[in-house]
Amino acid sequence: MQDPVRIQREDFSPDEEIRALLAGSKRIGGIATFLGCARDFSEGREVSEISFDAYEPMAVAEMQKLRSEAIERFGLIDARIVHRLGVVRAGDSIVFIATGAEHRAPALQACQWIIDELKERVPIWKKEITPQGDCWVTPHP
Amino acid sequence: MITVLFFGPVAERVGASRLEVEFHSGMRLQDVQAHLQPRYPEAFALVTLAAVNGEHVRDRSLPLADNSEVVFMSKFSGG
Repeated sequence: MQDPVRIQREDFSPDEEIRALLAGSKRIGGIATFLGCARDFSEGREVSEISFDAYEPMAVAEMQKLRSEAIERFGLIDARIVHRLGVVRAGDSIVFIATGAEHRAPALQACQWIIDELKERVPIWKKEITPQGDCWVTPHP
Repeated sequence: MITVLFFGPVAERVGASRLEVEFHSGMRLQDVQAHLQPRYPEAFALVTLAAVNGEHVRDRSLPLADNSEVVFMSKFSGG
C-alpha cells in the first residue's frame, strides 16, 4: 500500500486512496474527500497548464504533521493527503484529501481544515501557464 | 558554508535555486538575509517566510550552525 502522505509527479486515483483508507479499519462510518483540479481559466485569462514547485522535504514533513494533527484534533480514524508536482494540464487533478471517521461531521470538518492548512503551511508554489505568458499565483483566501 | 535554497517565484527572481554563503561564527539567519537582500532586492520583496533545516523560523535572530540549510520563501500557493 502506498504511503498515506505523498508528493508525486504522476496522477493519482481517488478511488485507490479511498480503498486504502477503508482497508485500514472497519470502524469508519464516513469518509470526506477534497479533490483540487486545474482550472482552464484564472483572473479572466485562459490557462493551459499549471506548473508546481516545492521544497519537497519540508512539504512532505508539513503534510505528515497536518495528517497527524487532523487525526488528533478531529478524532479521525485515518487520513490521506496526496499532492502533485511538475506540470499539470487544465482539467487534471492536483491534490486529494480523504478523511475517515466514525461519523460524518468530524470527517467533513477535518477535510476542510486540512486543505485550508495545507494552503497556509505547505511550501508548494504554482505557476499558471497561459498564452499571454507565465504567472506565479498569489494566494487567495 | 550555509546553503541557501530558493523556490518558485523567489528562485525565478534570484535566477538560481541554490546559493552558498560563507559561514562565520555567531552567524544568525538575519545576517544571511542582510548579505543577500541587497543583491536580490526584487526576489526578497516577495519573501515573507523563512526556514532553517526544514523548519519554519519566525525569529530571524536565530543562530545558525555551519552547514545549515536556509530557505527564503514567498507565500505558498499549493492546493
